[in-house]
Amino acid sequence: MAIEKLSSEQGLLHYLIKKVRPELASKISESKTIETMIVGLGRQGTRHAQLMMEYGTDVTCGVAPGKGGRTVHETVPVYNSAKEAIIEHPNIAIASIWRHYSTAKDATIEVIRTGIPIVVLISEFIPLKDVRDILVVARKYKTILFGGNTPGIIFPPEGIKVGMLPDIFQAEQKEGKIGPKGVTILSRSGAILYHLSDALASAGIAQNGVLGVGGDGAIGSRFVDLVSLVMNYENTDLVVIAGEIGGMQEELLAQDMLSHPEKYPKPIVALISGANAPEGKTMGHAGAVVAPGQSYGTYSSKKEALEKADVDVVNHQRDLIDTVKSKLNRIYFKIDDYYKKMSDKWNAKPPEKTWGTLITNVMPNNIMIRGYPLQEIIAKKGLLETLYLLQRGEFADTEEEIIELEKIAKNAIREEFPNYDGVPKSPDVSKMLGTFLQIDKRLSNYASSVSDESKVVAYTLGRMVKYLAIIQDNLEVLNSVKDTDVSFADLIYLGLVGEAQPGSLKVRLLEAMITACVDHGITPPSAQATLVLSSTRAPYEIALSAGIQAITDVHGGAGQKAAEFFLSVVNKSKEKNIPLEESTFEMMNSAIKAGKRIEGLGHRIHTQDPRKDILWQLAEEAGYAKDCVTVSKMVSDVLFRVRGMNLPINVDGVIGAITADMDIDPKLAKAIFVFGRTVGLAAHYYEEINTQPQMRRLAFDKVIYKGHSIRSVE
Amino acid sequence: MKLYEHEAKQIFEKFGLTIPKQIAVIETTEELEVLTLNFPIMIKAMVLIGGRGKAGGIKKADNSDEAKQIVSEMLDLTIHGYPIDKLLLEEAIDIASEIYLSVTTDPATFDVVIVTSASGGIDIEEIARTKPEEIWKTSILDNSKVLPDSIAQEAVDFLIKKNPDLIALDNQLKTTICSLFSLFQQVEAKVCEINPLILTKDNKIIAADAKLVLDDNSLYRQAPMLKSISIDPNSKRHDVAEQTQFEALAYKIGFPYLDLLSEPVNFVKEKDKLYVGLVPGGAGYGIFSIDEVVNIGNRYFDSNVIPINFMDSGGGPSLSKVADMFHILMDHPAADLIITSRFGGISSCDIFIQGLIMSLRDRFMKNKRMIPVFGRMVGTDLAAARAFFERAKRETPEPLKDLHIIIGNQKIMADVIKDGIEYGFKVKKELKQGGGN
Repeated sequence: MAIEKLSSEQGLLHYLIKKVRPELASKISESKTIETMIVGLGRQGTRHAQLMMEYGTDVTCGVAPGKGGRTVHETVPVYNSAKEAIIEHPNIAIASIWRHYSTAKDATIEVIRTGIPIVVLISEFIPLKDVRDILVVARKYKTILFGGNTPGIIFPPEGIKVGMLPDIFQAEQKEGKIGPKGVTILSRSGAILYHLSDALASAGIAQNGVLGVGGDGAIGSRFVDLVSLVMNYENTDLVVIAGEIGGMQEELLAQDMLSHPEKYPKPIVALISGANAPEGKTMGHAGAVVAPGQSYGTYSSKKEALEKADVDVVNHQRDLIDTVKSKLNRIYFKIDDYYKKMSDKWNAKPPEKTWGTLITNVMPNNIMIRGYPLQEIIAKKGLLETLYLLQRGEFADTEEEIIELEKIAKNAIREEFPNYDGVPKSPDVSKMLGTFLQIDKRLSNYASSVSDESKVVAYTLGRMVKYLAIIQDNLEVLNSVKDTDVSFADLIYLGLVGEAQPGSLKVRLLEAMITACVDHGITPPSAQATLVLSSTRAPYEIALSAGIQAITDVHGGAGQKAAEFFLSVVNKSKEKNIPLEESTFEMMNSAIKAGKRIEGLGHRIHTQDPRKDILWQLAEEAGYAKDCVTVSKMVSDVLFRVRGMNLPINVDGVIGAITADMDIDPKLAKAIFVFGRTVGLAAHYYEEINTQPQMRRLAFDKVIYKGHSIRSVE
Repeated sequence: MKLYEHEAKQIFEKFGLTIPKQIAVIETTEELEVLTLNFPIMIKAMVLIGGRGKAGGIKKADNSDEAKQIVSEMLDLTIHGYPIDKLLLEEAIDIASEIYLSVTTDPATFDVVIVTSASGGIDIEEIARTKPEEIWKTSILDNSKVLPDSIAQEAVDFLIKKNPDLIALDNQLKTTICSLFSLFQQVEAKVCEINPLILTKDNKIIAADAKLVLDDNSLYRQAPMLKSISIDPNSKRHDVAEQTQFEALAYKIGFPYLDLLSEPVNFVKEKDKLYVGLVPGGAGYGIFSIDEVVNIGNRYFDSNVIPINFMDSGGGPSLSKVADMFHILMDHPAADLIITSRFGGISSCDIFIQGLIMSLRDRFMKNKRMIPVFGRMVGTDLAAARAFFERAKRETPEPLKDLHIIIGNQKIMADVIKDGIEYGFKVKKELKQGGGN
């Protein structure tokens, strides 16, 4: 059972924030969360953002130039600059910087100038001149700057870490609760921190804060700036510093302790590395080098100086344990508990690598788009409103936004499509639409030049109407209508069916069928095909084309065959003058005997397709629930009579039935599906490029829906 | 990275400082013979280690016989254990007085510091201790890239006060100080020192010596400057010497590595000692693990344990880099045992164990030398690492039979090191008995 963490307000981190920015600290006391920012979203920054969140850190946002407007780990917003980010999230108290050394300076200075009080500079190998520029600004803003070349900082009682420290640190535990007390560790090296904490934990000594000050030759806050600060936090019982050869940080601290003993009321133990280091050779850390001929910077100069200031200096893990133990004379947790916690970690199964989508949650008999049940969307919203929802995550606030999309879509129909003549006719609507998408220069230009993704998708829908009109030979009729008189939905009807004034009920019914097909999450092959291309950053229209061409008789294209089947059932009933149920039975029986599939039945996920009832109902209301719809309602039961098995009708079957009753070309059943699904494919395309690293390993079965929880369409 | 004096001087000259005329850099006495020389000349040992003046590495020759003798003697000399391979010959200067001038980094605050003194030519640290009033020092708090005239003027006023002879050189001195400062900032130096800066009898100011230590972190953007003095921008040297063969190899592959033994390639081992190679995670622990091995050796093994290297895997090494870390030590003639520790923070235990096992399998297949590996892994990706390790042991037990990795921190690293050393001595003893000699 998880033990409740220490409230952040009682912890060392909050104490540090209060020391530099008291106003921010009191705001944090109210909000109860310490917000952090990640600057630099390369491989390491991105990965450790996730590890930080898993540990419990509140990662509020990321900063990466050129990636603004996207998200990382699906939900964390990304901004182009720290300046933009701080406007949206004024309470950020810590920033960690993961940029490459060649760009770390500008990024760090920008962050410091936002006034964020604690900056953790992970980047290593930053040129000295750049570090000095950073320090000039950090001093001005009184920033606590850890690093460069720090592994980060971790506060085990509060469960907050910023940086890359592993989860091996142990907080005080008493009477089943986490306590704030322990030793505070400051170190110039990352790995030493781990070995120190691990040694102390093996003796029952808790760490309330573990701070990497950085291994570079020139760093931000030094021992002399930090030791007395953390020591004055009431719950710190002792401070351990891990120093090493090179520089004069340890000597400076010793000097300060001698001249201001009142600043250092608690014991300090120092572990100094480098007793056996050669002179003049830099040892990994830019700062760890014994400068030839200097009076400081050697193991012995540090040991001597610190011992003069009454600090115990050790050079061996066992000595460290013994010295700290003798000074504290207590343990902070049951050592067995610590080993239990640790062994649980090393015995754990490797974690599954999951990823997230915020678009659609598909569960048996439920399709929730952005949290809204699809059947409610079909009932209450139009196609363009649904498009907006899929792209943006919310319905539009104002009607104007939808009107604008409509304008764009209508305009897209009107724009030229000069080179379509070369495309050979094919009965396969997916193949033709896919090809049109690939050769349409206007679309390609629009998609690569317009940044508002909803607009691109609206434009695409307009072009799709045009393609379908070409396929259905309705282009002339379509062109003859002045679009000031009609809606986009009317134009869809006209382009697909060729009927000029079908009446609003038919138009609405077609739009509802299209809307019913907009998305089915990551599960369908079409979405997966689009994602594969998105992950390689293929152009938008190419990724869409790939997804659409994956829509075949097997997936999404059953409507036409279903329509044909229903029509044949109805004809037979008329011919032989038998009830529909009987003719259904006969037709089905003979089809199955001939080894044929009955199309429009069965679904991999749903036993009751959530889209069917609302479509039947709308057909009923529009007056197009005729014989085929009747057959579609009984077909499952009849199949049971034939084969003794349950296969529910699916959305293709329902659309097939309705189109048949509307007396429009059965081929359009598949076109309706493809047309609707284009909206969903586009949403997945953009989600992939905006939230996932390129060419990632695409594990479709490892997706987790992380979007809005269930809600109702108003 | 420290530059040789002749290299540093070439840079100084580019920044408008006057240097003595460089005649040649030679490596043999034969090269001397073909030169036409105007005596007197200075002969200077080109070594990176300091203190060469006292060790006989700087001499003046008044004629060609003297020059020949000095050159041949100097090329046989070693300074603090480092051999002399190159000599700089340059014109000798008539000295009126000597000044100390440096632009360096304050080790406490990291600011740029300008230090000058009218008493040049001798150890500045010594003067600082004994006669601090002889030294003028100021920090540049805003890291400006050009020295404000007023500060240079202050320095010059101080020098003139201490040595009124300098008054005629007021402007020249000011320019020298400003140039050295610009040089420091432009080439991104850590230390930039002229000692002595000579005032000649005919009122010239000449940099008779030049010390220039560059910031390793900025070398990547100083390529044009390095090329201009014929240094390969992708090479590296220490502040005291050139790299050893193993150091150069590791540098090429891309991880910090230092030999702790002198002459590692032809190293002659003492038979009772155990030589331990180290593959630690992280630079800090790399330094500390050397101490741990020595301490544990001193306490429990009669001081018979010798660490042979420093290594740092850096942040997140690749598979092949991890493998190379083990290869380099298994190819090292001195190594008896490798002690390794992976405390995964930024670097993953998974990559570590995969790289380690890759190197062992590779060596096994190619029949290369293998030595026991002892260690521990904890931290990031441990679970995946453990799964890989267990599968690897099942699949290829032979190459991994002397691989002893503890999973998780059930034992602190000091105790793992102790166990490893004990095991190393046991294997050594068995080898001796088994070998029959």
